[in-house]
Amino acid sequence: MSCEIARRLMESGESAAAIQTHTASCLSCAIGENTSYYEAPAGLEEKIRASLATERHRPSRRNWWAAAAVALLVVSGTLTVDLVRQSGNAMETAILSAHLRSLEGTHLLDVPSSDQHTVKPWFNGKLDFSPAVPSFPDFPLLGGRLEYFEAHPAAALIYDRGQHMINLFIWHVNGSTLEKTWTSNGYHVICWAKDRMNYCAVSDVNAAELDRFAALYRAN
Amino acid sequence: MDPGLFEETVLPHLNAAYNLSRWMTRNSDDAEDAVQEAYLKAFRSFQNCKATTPEETRAWVLAIVRNTCLTWLRRKGAAPTTEFNEETHSGRELTPGGESVMLSQAAADRLNGCVEALPPEFREVIVLREIEELPYKEVAGIAGVPIGTIMSRLARARRRLQDCMTARSRTA
Repeated sequence: MSCEIARRLMESGESAAAIQTHTASCLSCAIGENTSYYEAPAGLEEKIRASLATERHRPSRRNWWAAAAVALLVVSGTLTVDLVRQSGNAMETAILSAHLRSLEGTHLLDVPSSDQHTVKPWFNGKLDFSPAVPSFPDFPLLGGRLEYFEAHPAAALIYDRGQHMINLFIWHVNGSTLEKTWTSNGYHVICWAKDRMNYCAVSDVNAAELDRFAALYRAN
Repeated sequence: MDPGLFEETVLPHLNAAYNLSRWMTRNSDDAEDAVQEAYLKAFRSFQNCKATTPEETRAWVLAIVRNTCLTWLRRKGAAPTTEFNEETHSGRELTPGGESVMLSQAAADRLNGCVEALPPEFREVIVLREIEELPYKEVAGIAGVPIGTIMSRLARARRRLQDCMTARSRTA
């Protein structure tokens, strides 16, 4: 009720009948009570949260120093990868390298979108398969990117987990499948194979959380 | 800046933001897109937000939503004539009381249609003042004009609504 006359009538202790006489003929009294109040549709808040997460990971000019710091980390990351290369096999190294390279700010997302109906068609013509692109409340989708493993195209899906990023790589099995879980330099990697496709999730999020993500994706 | 602060302080005003956007854009798809765009803009300029109370934060984000909607309307060209859709005007639940006035469903539908037909500068004051029930001062802050201007716009908007209601009830 925002009608000033009605408010004054009430404040001056007029009878309900007197107030009703006024409201019955007063348009102001009718507007608030008889117009639609549109509440935000379900899912809008989730969409906004996802776009905020993307925005946080997007380097802006203001964040130049932060980007420079990340670049330094990548340089040191590349050094660690060199160390890894000596011990692990080439595929494992390639997966970790792809994850580290993606953190280098400008290369994380080729298609930044929290909308799976934008990301999935983006891969059309770039891959010879169509990856499932779900988004989860706890792991919102940030977007997608194209990667190459052993000269074969791979889908990279990027998920957000509270300031940590998860890369999920998907590519055709060419030769042997890669089904193992390992940790290297603080990065956890979970790989599984299904229907002649390799799947590898990589992140610095804790192992249990990455496990939960992999389980969610596999159950999808 | 605390990373969760924006979510904690600005997201609670999402219903008010959507209600304003829905009334200004007059369709649910545009309303959702405009709110998303406005929230992203708000997030980017959050460090300039001087609000210290929930009311001030609400006024701050609603001003961004309002400006985004006006830009949206300009981009779409001259105010489009929208079909009045009865289904979308469900009307709110009313608690019976001596001071409330219920119109018949037909009259309430006419009223909603008349609010939609108002020019944007009148529509926004009706939505913020009569539907969102914000204080005059806050409405003035959101629209970026003095309180006196809000009062005169509100009076003119009510007159237009009255005329529109009279005209539409005659043709009904």
